[in-house]
Amino acid sequence: MSYDIDFFYALRGIDQLLEGLKITLTLSAVSIIIGVTLGFVVCLLLMSRSRLLSFPAMTFIEIFRCTPALIQIVWIFYCVPMLFNVFLDPIVMGILALSLNLIAFNAEAYRAAIQSIPKAHLDASVALGLSPLQTQLYVILPQAVRLALPVLVTNGISIFQQSALVAIVAIEDLMYMGKMLSTETYRPIETFTLVALIYFAIALPAMFISNRLEKRLKVA
Amino acid sequence: MTDKAPFIKIRGLKKSYSPEIQVLKGLDLDMYPGDRIVVIGPSGGGKSTLLRCMMGLENIDAGTIEFDSKMYIAGKGVGKMNDINKSVQKQVGMVFQHYTLFPHLTILQNLTLAPIKSRGIPRSEAEDKARGLLKRLGLADKAGAQPSQLSGGQKQRVAIARALMLSPNLMLFDEVTSALDPELVNEVESVMMQLAEQQMPMMIVTHDMWFAKNIATRVVFCAGGVVVEDGTPEQIFTNPKEQRTRDFLEKILHTTESAA
Repeated sequence: MSYDIDFFYALRGIDQLLEGLKITLTLSAVSIIIGVTLGFVVCLLLMSRSRLLSFPAMTFIEIFRCTPALIQIVWIFYCVPMLFNVFLDPIVMGILALSLNLIAFNAEAYRAAIQSIPKAHLDASVALGLSPLQTQLYVILPQAVRLALPVLVTNGISIFQQSALVAIVAIEDLMYMGKMLSTETYRPIETFTLVALIYFAIALPAMFISNRLEKRLKVA
Repeated sequence: MTDKAPFIKIRGLKKSYSPEIQVLKGLDLDMYPGDRIVVIGPSGGGKSTLLRCMMGLENIDAGTIEFDSKMYIAGKGVGKMNDINKSVQKQVGMVFQHYTLFPHLTILQNLTLAPIKSRGIPRSEAEDKARGLLKRLGLADKAGAQPSQLSGGQKQRVAIARALMLSPNLMLFDEVTSALDPELVNEVESVMMQLAEQQMPMMIVTHDMWFAKNIATRVVFCAGGVVVEDGTPEQIFTNPKEQRTRDFLEKILHTTESAA
């Protein structure tokens, strides 16, 4: 093989990549905020006794968990404007697609956490005279959030990586800028290695934090 | 003892978990002031269910429970919600087999949560009371600890303290030493003996016959969803009238002896 590895051209485009990174971080951060909050709301709907509420929530969750994120992005990007005649800023569309996906996964994380709390805690709360609402607020939810937190962080890191998929619909994120740069420079190996390193440099510390958090919050 | 009005009066208590599994089949029981009742009997006989019903944790199918001549719980039929008198329920405390301390709270917070949130007692007052109770139960240095840092016996003592925080007039103990290592049983039982000395009305489900003999003023043998026999500890343990009681005691005392 006579390919000489040379990072010069790729590194010369670093500003371009960092511009893309800004978009990637925006997409991820906003999606994570939406995913953490609305994921909880969807979880409450899912666990509601009313099937009128739980069934749509379950359908939503399973659709987004059981189809590839790439298809979700493409579908939302091309089908939503055609079906509903709404035209949004591409970044908003990207956020919409990623958030819906994350909401589905986070709702499941919350549900699993809530259901893993022993039923005996409900009995103990009744014996202590706590109302159902007080039981949820002071006994169940604080435990559930602790149990769910490591999964929420992992899901967040995962959506940060999945956000690279929006490059396919021409949102100018890190991945998209990487593609551009590699075509401009004819240096795909160096460019994509650099792009991968940038993703890695952000995801790795987040992973560490997640692991630390898991150990610290572990409740016996 | 029949000249006094019963403190707790249970009539025709029925509870089923499914049409096939009827656990309580019309149980009657009176508890008089000054009684400390230990309920013994084979598993599946309805002992724990009885206590759970008395705490209001189970929806009963039929029957009534009166507390101090006031209606406490009345069954309205299978699948229908009970009538339950919440102000009476507040006078009942319960301790469970598996401690059920809240793992996200410190020991002190476990004790003060219910008094502050459900009784509206000021935090400082609740904390003073909690520290006093912990001290009495030999756990003064554990106030700031997490439940996971405690031994089983310590956890169970905290669970008792947590129930006592609400100044109950009746304490229910559902197999509170069954999950403990043998060497930790004593510390929990001695706390219960302390409560007995203070004349706390108690109903206790236990498999520890030695403890039953020591703490009970009355022993109730419960099997097949009804009270089979009811008497003083001396009478039940030395001279049971019913064949089913004799069979049960023979079996259980035999196993305890061979285990020892």
